[in-house]
Amino acid sequence: MITVENLRKTYGDFPAVVGSDFSVESGEVFGIVGPNGAGKTTTLKMLAGLVEPTGGSASVLGYDPEEPAMRRKLGFLPEESPLYEDMTARSYLRFFADLYDVPRDVADERTGAVLDRLDLEYRDRRLGDMSKGMKRKVAIARSLVNDPDLLIYDEPASGLDPLTTNVVLEFVRELRDEDKTVVFSAHNLFHVESICDRVVIMNRGEIIARGTVPEIRAEHGETTYRVFTTVPLPETLPADDEVGGEGEERHVAVVDEMAAVESLREAAEAAGGRVADIRTDEASLEDIFLRLAREAPTTSEAEGGRGRAAGGEGVAGEHGQRAPGGNGQS
Amino acid sequence: MTDLRTRLVAHARTVLRIARWEVSRSAGTLDRRTAVIGLVAVLVAGGIAAGAAGGGVALDRDLYRVGIAGDSPYYDAVDQSSTLDPRPVSDPNVELVVSETHISVADTQTGRAAYSAFRDAVQSYNERQMAREENQSAAFPVVVDLQYRERAALVPAGSRVDGGAGGSGDAGTGGGGGTDAGTGSGTTDGDTAGDSAADGPDASDAAAADDGGVDAPSFGGMASLFGGDTSGSPASISPPFPFASLVLAFAFLVPMNFVIQAYGSSILNERINRRGELLLVAPISPGDIVAGKTLPYLLGTVAITIAIAAAVGGGVVSVAAVVPIGLLFLASTFVGAMFARSFKELTFVTVTVSVFLTTYTFVPAIFTNVTPIALISPLTLVVRDLAGESIPLGEFLFSVGPILLAAGVLFLLGVGVYREEDMFTQRPVPLKFLDALDSRISRARSVATLSALSIPFVFIAELLAIAVLFVLPVDLTVPMILLAVAVIEELAKSLHVLAAFEKARFSRTLRSSLVLGGLSGLGFFVGEKFTAIAQLAGLQSLTLGQTAFAPSGVGIGDGTGVSALVVLGLFLAPLALHAVTASVTAFGASRGRSAYGVALAGAIAIHLVYNLQVVSALG
Repeated sequence: MITVENLRKTYGDFPAVVGSDFSVESGEVFGIVGPNGAGKTTTLKMLAGLVEPTGGSASVLGYDPEEPAMRRKLGFLPEESPLYEDMTARSYLRFFADLYDVPRDVADERTGAVLDRLDLEYRDRRLGDMSKGMKRKVAIARSLVNDPDLLIYDEPASGLDPLTTNVVLEFVRELRDEDKTVVFSAHNLFHVESICDRVVIMNRGEIIARGTVPEIRAEHGETTYRVFTTVPLPETLPADDEVGGEGEERHVAVVDEMAAVESLREAAEAAGGRVADIRTDEASLEDIFLRLAREAPTTSEAEGGRGRAAGGEGVAGEHGQRAPGGNGQS
Repeated sequence: MTDLRTRLVAHARTVLRIARWEVSRSAGTLDRRTAVIGLVAVLVAGGIAAGAAGGGVALDRDLYRVGIAGDSPYYDAVDQSSTLDPRPVSDPNVELVVSETHISVADTQTGRAAYSAFRDAVQSYNERQMAREENQSAAFPVVVDLQYRERAALVPAGSRVDGGAGGSGDAGTGGGGGTDAGTGSGTTDGDTAGDSAADGPDASDAAAADDGGVDAPSFGGMASLFGGDTSGSPASISPPFPFASLVLAFAFLVPMNFVIQAYGSSILNERINRRGELLLVAPISPGDIVAGKTLPYLLGTVAITIAIAAAVGGGVVSVAAVVPIGLLFLASTFVGAMFARSFKELTFVTVTVSVFLTTYTFVPAIFTNVTPIALISPLTLVVRDLAGESIPLGEFLFSVGPILLAAGVLFLLGVGVYREEDMFTQRPVPLKFLDALDSRISRARSVATLSALSIPFVFIAELLAIAVLFVLPVDLTVPMILLAVAVIEELAKSLHVLAAFEKARFSRTLRSSLVLGGLSGLGFFVGEKFTAIAQLAGLQSLTLGQTAFAPSGVGIGDGTGVSALVVLGLFLAPLALHAVTASVTAFGASRGRSAYGVALAGAIAIHLVYNLQVVSALG
């Protein structure tokens, strides 16, 4: 579905994406995670044909991303929902359907079904009078107006309230069930962990981890064990958890190796007590991400002087997020 | 072939869809205030047109009373003038009395003004009569016998003196004071021109004393200019001012200033908050988007132009001449809106576009009856069309061609930056301009293409320089035009090279600089040859025209008495000049902006010296 080889993008002297390689299989939900300025949006825009790569190659649906034929099979949702606010939701969706040569009745039926699922009413209301969540739903409906094979969603739940976020994420899950391929980025790693089949973690333009969530956890995550004892040991602290039998004291130690668990067991028994419980804590994607980000090279160590360039001509990092103007008119 | 047709149909369909959407969306956003402003614009244009069509703004209707007999050969001229009110000769309340042999005027400021209006009326009448004459050779030249007569009091109150003799009074020859005015205006030795306004009571004498009356009545001054007679700058001549036609022509420009406001806002709206991003990801090209968004405004301009033309009596030529101006208004606004970072900047851009293009089109048209330089403005064609003159195809192309080419190139540049990476970033306008230039450079030979494409702008800029500097004495004008030409051409040859180096499109080496400089010079040289179209309009017959274009190698001499080798040398010398100076600036550009500035100054100096040498050689 998507093959990316050594994909690079440089803004002036600033390397926004540094040699990305990954592939996305048909029918999977693929997540790109990372902090601000990691290169997620730039990567997605290169895949959507909006931004021309500086180097490397990308094949999307078998096409060069800049070919119009590819865009007929693509649904793109940018991070913001920049709609034409003087139009109604219905006329807006019909206009885009027209651009994709989708007959009006088909478009009405298709987008109507999506908006029903997203629970959006007031379709004849002006977009400028809608809330952010409602606009997001309209934008999602627009991304599906051409019944695309591939969906590229940039932060689909960004800035939405928890309720709307859940609706949107649930909808993405349903898209996977409909055999759509979804590539999306997110800051909120819980979202990624909950719906993505595979993930790449980006930092400073580079992919620093990749695979399924369990694979990443196995490779980069640390499993810790909380060991509860009935007697105090030098390694333990008093625990409040309800562990073991009624009236027993509870003490806990956190270790990261099974050998340490065995040592605690022996020590407890030697002290006349026992191990009441052992609990396994697996690292979340967020834990892994934070650790990898900490371990990544600092600005001065990174190649190409990324930090130096970031202060250049105003295109660094959040390049894609800026809007012209600034006088409040829209 | 079928594939091409299919693609064209698909593009046309997309463009129409976007155009329809633009219309419906714009109609939805049209608030009452905008509608009122639009209505005012139409009324202003209509008012100007109606006022001018009615013979002026009517404030001067029947302003002067003229005592004249019904059988006087001048009666029709007076009767048809909106300013003059024919009265019986016996009426004492008149400013002017026309008898068989005398024209008597009150020796007052009003009397003199009435006499001047009378002369104008007679001249206009004569011109209309002559224009109706089928056999022009029979109509021109006309020999006029002048009689010098003393003024004599006519009215008992003693407040009137005898005006200057109007000539033989032979209506068939169009004699009278009006003939003198035409003569004085069309010749370089017409010292009377400047005097006539200041001399007061002697004005008529001065006019009568003009010795250049062989071609009177002048055919609006054009006969002497296009017929090969000498011409001069306004410093030494008095132009016959086609007021009514000019005002009518100006009416065409008024609505454009409002159309570009709406158009510029629509384009910038696509860039605010990244609104247009989703159109870019749709299966349509940026060119289709721009064409679709522009089409309604262009069609609106055409419709308004046709309506105004119908109102003021303009023909197809007027519409065909004005629409390219409208297209250039839109193209300039489009590029401005693509560069502007805010609505505040857009306002600056649209005002600049309005002022510049209005100046460019209107000011030269003032000199419609004076010099062919006026043809740089298509509005001159309108003025002439409204005067009932026919326009040769060559003159039409000379006037409209650069405007159309410039509009096309501007749209090309704007579409080049109609992409995600350029539309939504905030960069100063000059850097955006460089981005736009760079967007059209993919390989070294693109540099030559861009240099050639800069020709319409160079042409317009140089002609504008001529029009502006035209008012100065020729001795001063020539060197200043040479300098202006050098500056304009060196910028045109080097700015895109600078853009390419800034974007690291080429390696910053001496070899690259020489290659790019050579290609830029070659492209400019080839494109420059197309300015030979200027000769179609006879512009080369003017000293100023030669100054502007001869140094560039267009139309140098006629080759008479010069060896083929010299002609070849003269032909190729500009190529060498352009290649050398472009290489100098390219080398500077490869070393950064400061070095580019220094190199540009050097290239301009070389170019100026070359131009001065060529002008000296040509005598």
